[in-house]
Amino acid sequence: MLSRVADSLYWMARYMERTDSILRMLKINYASSQDNPEEFTWRPVLKIFGSMEEADISAIEKNSRQVLQHMVLDRENPNSVFNMVSKSRENARAVQDNMTKELWQSLNDFYHVMRRPTLTYDLQSDDPISVLDSMIKQCMVYYGVADITMFRGEGLCFMNIGKCLERVTQSADILNVKFSDLSYDLDKTADTTYWKYLLMSVSGYALYLKRYRSGFEARNVIDQLLFNTEFPRSVLYSLNQLQRYFNRLRSDQNTDGFNKVDFQIGKLRSKIQYSDVQSVSSMGLHQYLMDITDDIRAIGITLNQYYFAYS
Amino acid sequence: MEQALHLQDYPVTSTTWDEMCAPDQVRLPYQNVYDFLRQTPVDELNKKEELAKRLFMSQGITFTVYSSGEGIEKIFPFDIIPRIITASEWDFIERGIKQRLRALNLFLKDVYHEQFILKDGIVPSELIYSCPHFLREMQGINVPYDIYVHISGIDLIRDYDGTFYVLEDNLRTPSGVSYMIENREITKRIFPDLIPQNHVRPVTQYPNILHRNLMGLTPRAISNPNVVLLTPGIYNSAYFEHTTLARLMGIELVEGRDLVVENHRVFMKTTAGLQQVDVIYRRVDDDFLDPLVFRPESTLGVSGILSAYRKGNVAIVNAIGNGVADDKAVYVYVPEMIRYYLNEEPLLKNVPTYQLERPDEREHVLQHIHKMVVKKTNESGGYGMLMGHAATESEIENYKKEILKDPRQFIAQPIISLSTAPCYMNGKVQPRRIDLRPFALCGPDGIEIVPGGLTRVALREGSMVVNSSQGGGSKDTWVLSQ
Repeated sequence: MLSRVADSLYWMARYMERTDSILRMLKINYASSQDNPEEFTWRPVLKIFGSMEEADISAIEKNSRQVLQHMVLDRENPNSVFNMVSKSRENARAVQDNMTKELWQSLNDFYHVMRRPTLTYDLQSDDPISVLDSMIKQCMVYYGVADITMFRGEGLCFMNIGKCLERVTQSADILNVKFSDLSYDLDKTADTTYWKYLLMSVSGYALYLKRYRSGFEARNVIDQLLFNTEFPRSVLYSLNQLQRYFNRLRSDQNTDGFNKVDFQIGKLRSKIQYSDVQSVSSMGLHQYLMDITDDIRAIGITLNQYYFAYS
Repeated sequence: MEQALHLQDYPVTSTTWDEMCAPDQVRLPYQNVYDFLRQTPVDELNKKEELAKRLFMSQGITFTVYSSGEGIEKIFPFDIIPRIITASEWDFIERGIKQRLRALNLFLKDVYHEQFILKDGIVPSELIYSCPHFLREMQGINVPYDIYVHISGIDLIRDYDGTFYVLEDNLRTPSGVSYMIENREITKRIFPDLIPQNHVRPVTQYPNILHRNLMGLTPRAISNPNVVLLTPGIYNSAYFEHTTLARLMGIELVEGRDLVVENHRVFMKTTAGLQQVDVIYRRVDDDFLDPLVFRPESTLGVSGILSAYRKGNVAIVNAIGNGVADDKAVYVYVPEMIRYYLNEEPLLKNVPTYQLERPDEREHVLQHIHKMVVKKTNESGGYGMLMGHAATESEIENYKKEILKDPRQFIAQPIISLSTAPCYMNGKVQPRRIDLRPFALCGPDGIEIVPGGLTRVALREGSMVVNSSQGGGSKDTWVLSQ
């Protein structure tokens, strides 16, 4: 496969994963803002997912509609859903011949949905959850079409590698957002709804109820998001998937590159697998999460060097 | 129920050939379509037009116009009413184009090797050597099977009496074939059943024939040669066509930066290292192909690709240097080429053409410029053209000055009244000017022309300019099997 093509598929998948994750996060945070208007603030969301100045954040942190406008439609915000969908689609457009027509069309349709002129009005005056849901549905169509139609080759491996890397980053970031509210104190008890919304934003609520019978507490939430291998958005699950798809790239060529990336993934995976909530808390959750995102970034750089470099 | 078509409102004159109507009667091949248009209310047709637009948008059959940093997707305008060519018309067109291509291929081989046709004085040497697309770098290079024009899109028009004329030979990187394929797909959706009712011949085989021909050109005797399509990239207005063709043929779509030449061989950079490339279907112009030989600033090409080509280590489609054969001044000599190389009389006529380099012809053209189209010999896409009947006096004066500066750069033709076909415009069926570009594929086993082509339409009332860059649109083109 052409290096350029691998690069584009990888980024197409990363941007879509990020889009999906941010949309879910926005939806649940919005719901939470309705429950709890006095205490709720968008500050952590804006700090971690946006690129706003401190003063601008203070100006809109309590204004859900403005935050949604900024996070979903703002052309100036590089992390807005609008821009990520455009980038994902632009990557796909350049490698259309390496994917099924159905997959390209699902992305192209999403792109045109994001450009509908009525969207700004809907987001300001309509029910935001319906608007966000219609976008989340586009993501689900994309995932479904990718799964059902894409040929099981190198291309899909690079897409899945991109997806898994991004998912680890997103899960770490979401924990970061939520726990920065509590100053990373694992013993500070927030009320039940707080954890409930967090779990819902990563589609992990049902699983939590089944697996953690002792009620809502920070340690269990961390356990699920980091270590639970039944949970498709946990860091450990995503790393297992990452390793699985990366291993399919093993070949006689490019052994150098393969060994380097394989080593980095294996190392990070072991680090997560052989730690638990206890060790996280003694190390400090914030530091632990930062280490994960740093390691993920390093894997991305090595992939770029050995697999995607083409100019 | 409001109707879109009223025969009394559909103007037919004796000075223009209309594809659907002769004066006071509907031509037989159009009867089904005519009836359909009569029976379908305006609302229905509007819905169909909407559906067509939506399908083009959602499938990404678009080109991107960039303004203020943001890309806007545009659709190449599509008219929903198909254009019909009868079996006997097609038979004639097919024979005519094949004959013309055989002669043009022989001409290209000749002009880059022994140059008999120049030595025998059939085509003047000055004309060839003053053509910017005549590439001395191609002199003496042998190309596989002596094929230069693997893909051509010869433009045909019809005069007032229905006679077909060749307007120009596009022998370099003709575009539009994806619209031949996609327009048909759209028609299947908006007019269910109409296609089988009319016995329309299919066009879907085009990519398979092209792929087979490309595979046949491989310099390495291996079972699975690497065939690639070289595109200038996503900013090119024909990018959609490049991706479509690559996908339909299952070949890799590459950009110049994906390729590298080592030891006179071309390789592509893959995730598993370098892989040799055997055949390149390039959609990059000659000038940009190899910065070591042609334009040094080009970033679209591949350094050293010409040396690999010269050594026969890679096949390039179409051949380099074909521009010398579709120069508008060389066009004048194509009928002579047919007589010279094939000893046959040309089937398809040329449009009478004046070479402005010749003093007597120039004098004649300058005197009758209001009845002429003057074109630059090396421009395409409808750029640099003067339509004498529509131009203002000052435009004409300026153009005359340009001509006198370098007459070799210009030719003139009497204004041919292009034929018209019914188009659906704002709720009414109206005649608009059209041309026809069939796509011919020339491979080791001979020439094949897929029954169909691109019909381009001048959407503005009265306009004779069908080029997409000048606001033209397109139609699905039906070739009937009976």
